[in-house]
Amino acid sequence: MKIRLQDGTARTYDGGAARVWEVLLALDENPAGVIVSRNGRVIPEDTVLGRDDEIRVIRVSHGG
Amino acid sequence: MALPGRPPACDLCGQDAVFLDRVRGCHLCGDHFLRDMEGRVRHTLWEYRLLRPGERIAVALSGGKDSTVLLHLLRKFLPVPGTVTLTAITVDEGIAGYRDATQRVAREMAARLGVEHRIVSFRDLAGSTLDAMVAAGGEHPCTLCGVHRRKALQETAMALGATAVATGHNLNDEAQTVVMNCLRGDLHGFTRSPVRCSAPSPRFASRIPVREPADGGLRRIKPLFRIPEKEVALYGMLTGIFHDLPECPYAGTALRSEARRMVDRLEYLRPGTLGRIVRGQEELATLCRGIPEKPGKDGDPRGRPSTVT
Repeated sequence: MKIRLQDGTARTYDGGAARVWEVLLALDENPAGVIVSRNGRVIPEDTVLGRDDEIRVIRVSHGG
Repeated sequence: MALPGRPPACDLCGQDAVFLDRVRGCHLCGDHFLRDMEGRVRHTLWEYRLLRPGERIAVALSGGKDSTVLLHLLRKFLPVPGTVTLTAITVDEGIAGYRDATQRVAREMAARLGVEHRIVSFRDLAGSTLDAMVAAGGEHPCTLCGVHRRKALQETAMALGATAVATGHNLNDEAQTVVMNCLRGDLHGFTRSPVRCSAPSPRFASRIPVREPADGGLRRIKPLFRIPEKEVALYGMLTGIFHDLPECPYAGTALRSEARRMVDRLEYLRPGTLGRIVRGQEELATLCRGIPEKPGKDGDPRGRPSTVT
């Protein structure tokens, strides 16, 4: 599974099918602080992803 | 585990969901999420009577997601066109590589919504950019920025004849502020209501903390203070007004960043934590009615709007 991050970098998740939140926690991202899209559509954090899926992770927390 | 594929279905219509509400335990599709969030913001406006006929509201518009969504919603919810006037104010702090992009978004958003827009700069008002102030040493960048931004917003709003300043503070911002006040041991801060509300809807008056502006001037209103940051961002994405913008280069070292990590983690582990922190503070503020406010560090009354977003 391929994960595209906001800074333009990409990472992979090799744990097979998994829910979005499981993938996020494996990447050390807090599911409460990000929005995830697949094929341009926002998906909830309990969506089950396939090993061939590609997702985009957008951090929503900004500011000082 | 379910098979990979479609997202869970919306609990209201069966369409693909875009959002899992972990506090209420339901899935919502895009349309139902938008309607639900608009309903909650509209309820806050009504409950606290945040928009009053005849007023001019100055909207702090940084160009970030929170202030952009705020302006969009206020424009959408104006009681009767013409009875409340909105003016957006953007403060250019003078932060190289950061403010240009957000200022462009702010200009475009105000123009698209047909809202009058003023841009004021630290350079014009204080004679120096934030970058130059930081380079000169002394206070923490966020402290300097907060003091000058409050001043810039207040002075511009008053010059425009506004009676209130609306800021895009969301539920996360408010919970972070409660935690920061605890960490600083700031009892006065801890007993302040998140919303200045001198005349709440009678139905809710007994449980809403009432606060007049300390300087008898501008009211501070935060129509998004009950909406989690993630939902504000999702609303912006679904309505096409979310822009992926750079983060302020000074943000990482602020106490707020520590508070953010703390409350975000707790919210994930125990959904609803943010709301409970802010509701608890509202109750405390109600119990502490009558305690005089402490002047701010800069000698200004706390009536000046905070501008964290």
